[in-house]
Amino acid sequence: MTVWFLRGLRRGVVTTRYPARPDSSAADLPTPPVFAARAIGRALADRLVEVCPSQALDREDDELVFDVGACTACGRCREAASWAVQPSGVFELAVTSRAHLVKRIPLKPERGRT
Amino acid sequence: MTAVRPGSRETLAGLLGSIKGASVAGVGNAVTLQLPAAELEPAVDHLTRAGARLADLFAAGQDPAVLHLVWALDEEHQYLVVRAEVDGEDYPPLSDLAPAAFYEECEIYEQFGIRPATGKPLNRVALPPHAGPDFPRLGRQPRQAPAEVHAPHTVGGHAFEFPFGPVRQVGVESLYYGLVTSGEEVVDLYLFTWHKHRGLEWRLRGQAPRAALFYVERTEGLSAIALSWAFAAAVEAALDASPPPAAQRTRAVALELERLYNHAAATAALCQATGLSVGQSAAEIALEQLLRLNAAVFGHRYLFGVIEAGGARRAPDVDALRAALPAAHAELRRAAEALLTTNSFLDRLEAAGVVTGEQARRLGLVGPVARAAGLAHDTRRDHPAPPYLENPPVVAARTAGDVLARFGVMQDEAADSVRLIGDLLDAGAGAGAADLRPGGGRSRSGLGWAESSRGEALAWVSLDDDGRIARARLRPASVRNWRGFDDACRSQNVFTDIPIIEASFWLTVAGTAR
Amino acid sequence: MSQGELPIPSQPNVQQTPAPQGERGDPATEDQAAAALRQRIASQFGRSLHIRTLDTGSCAACEQEIRLLAAPHYDLHRLGFFFTPAPRHADLLMVTGPMIRAFDIAARKTYDAMPGPKVVVATGACALGGVYPADAFVHGAVDRILPVDVWIPGCPPSPLALLHGLLVAVDRLAEKVPELSFASDSASGKESG
Repeated sequence: MTVWFLRGLRRGVVTTRYPARPDSSAADLPTPPVFAARAIGRALADRLVEVCPSQALDREDDELVFDVGACTACGRCREAASWAVQPSGVFELAVTSRAHLVKRIPLKPERGRT
Repeated sequence: MTAVRPGSRETLAGLLGSIKGASVAGVGNAVTLQLPAAELEPAVDHLTRAGARLADLFAAGQDPAVLHLVWALDEEHQYLVVRAEVDGEDYPPLSDLAPAAFYEECEIYEQFGIRPATGKPLNRVALPPHAGPDFPRLGRQPRQAPAEVHAPHTVGGHAFEFPFGPVRQVGVESLYYGLVTSGEEVVDLYLFTWHKHRGLEWRLRGQAPRAALFYVERTEGLSAIALSWAFAAAVEAALDASPPPAAQRTRAVALELERLYNHAAATAALCQATGLSVGQSAAEIALEQLLRLNAAVFGHRYLFGVIEAGGARRAPDVDALRAALPAAHAELRRAAEALLTTNSFLDRLEAAGVVTGEQARRLGLVGPVARAAGLAHDTRRDHPAPPYLENPPVVAARTAGDVLARFGVMQDEAADSVRLIGDLLDAGAGAGAADLRPGGGRSRSGLGWAESSRGEALAWVSLDDDGRIARARLRPASVRNWRGFDDACRSQNVFTDIPIIEASFWLTVAGTAR
Repeated sequence: MSQGELPIPSQPNVQQTPAPQGERGDPATEDQAAAALRQRIASQFGRSLHIRTLDTGSCAACEQEIRLLAAPHYDLHRLGFFFTPAPRHADLLMVTGPMIRAFDIAARKTYDAMPGPKVVVATGACALGGVYPADAFVHGAVDRILPVDVWIPGCPPSPLALLHGLLVAVDRLAEKVPELSFASDSASGKESG
């Protein structure tokens, strides 16, 4: 067993300090997107809803309904509209209430509609 | 993009020519033959005698259902798809001639209602017990419900059997098996995987290939690259499309990274199964470094979202890869070297879970399980698609067929993966995809393959006139290799060997149950 | 991608637990319930917590991330968390997968075998209603069969995300998502809060 003991000593500690300190490896993790408010029109929103493979997007009138819980961070919505959709960088997504994962993003208001 | 090597053409032509009643229905990266059902039995006999390996068996279509047999002619570097229309409910018995087919025959019966004409009972393997007439199937419901699995066994009258699972120890997939034992010795072991059946092949119908990849890579998440590559290649074969060379190299870089982390994970699982916590920690350090490497290089720890139908969606971060890969592999290599000097570890592995070469051949096993038993098949060398044509792997093999041999094969492969990645990066890896025009191909059906860390992963796809999926067949290596697990556990092993054998197979239930 | 309507088979032997928190429930009532639960949890589970895992149909990636919680890089033991294979010892149930219907009975049995007080953590996009919609194969989300207390998104959630989720479950870390809008003021992508 000496070989293991010495190896362990040489290797040192690799344990993360999270949550006391942030962990730098988090920067490479895929994260759910952020949508530009009032910048996406209805047609594009419908396209994003269609392109999402995971039922995370829906449109209700002039709101994009984004279910962060269903999001897999696959990036397809970002590819469809990279100017309006960016990674959030947020990986700490746990909640104690399911409703808090459902976000409503205002769309670009249609001209001539109330 | 043909993979038939000159010189083997004559053997191949001779072989195909001597199959009675066959007509060539398509030539691409695989040859497709059409046969009348009555000629199936002699054809199977003929191909088996010629040394062909039955790689997969599935059905497609309804009224009539069409049986598809995928044969791998490894020496001739050729895949063969044999199609036969089945009128009515019966087709000629195949698993007597090709024992590797029994599991598939059961699955086909549950999904399509067609069965071999022997009258022997078929087991319920794929669909859950409550699957009534409304349950989504790929074809017709079978007229008679399939039997429950019970392997006949006699051991001095004292064997008893108990079901184990599906909820098992912490952090492992649900798996349900029947264990037959006379006390300590494993007399028989049979697996049920229907509780993890998510109906992937059913879900893919009607989808566009690019959208379908989201589900394909989540069929068996630990083989996301291998299965999505096989599927993308099947689509490309159907549409006569070729990914750009840089994208092909990206796929291979990702596939080798996938192989690396899986072998590290299997090493950690072996240490856990043998109670060697320190070794487990060492292997886990390597595994975590490799997963972080995947995230830095391709944006996802498990390499989801890399492969696109037609090419690759993302290019690797070459600098990050070159910088961190040597250290990560060195971590795994040092752990393995230390393990090979630890007697308590070696004692548990030697002569445990033996799969003989004969068993591996008879059951059509693939991957490290087969290579450790002396069957040195590797689709990267035997059916090379770019970039493996220009960058062939060194195929690792052993002969003992036990857990230790499988461990050795995995370590050799890990080292070779590092070499391959270096060569591929030197040649240049990038993103990009070929145009996929619906109706661009002639046959609109195609076969694809990739060598996952567990072995040969296959996919076959048939597209309709709009380029959408009419039928998708997904066959991860796990589907093939679980049938060897029974034999491996049965050979004079005891209960506590089962987790060790399971770790050395390193399959998934998700990939089998789909 | 429309699969059409599928007849959903009934399972007479399985009691369906009405999920207290539905997909888009009322935040105010739920906040109260969540606060009460957090209080109980903090007093009972604050120091040490035993975790049982349950796979209801995952692709196996979530399981690999969960296993890594005990690995050197993450070492959940230093935070007072322990894995246990015995439901009788467990305080918290981590559930992955889209709750395949064939798994209903096994899932309920596992949950029922755990003595109270207990916490259920739905883990990963499949368990939260993503990836697989409800149909004849799957319920689509864990909270259609079991009462869920904490939801952890991700595909798969990384061990860091899992640690955050577990610490939220025992009220040792604050949730971040309720305060975020996932909408940016401009196309630059900065969170507008």
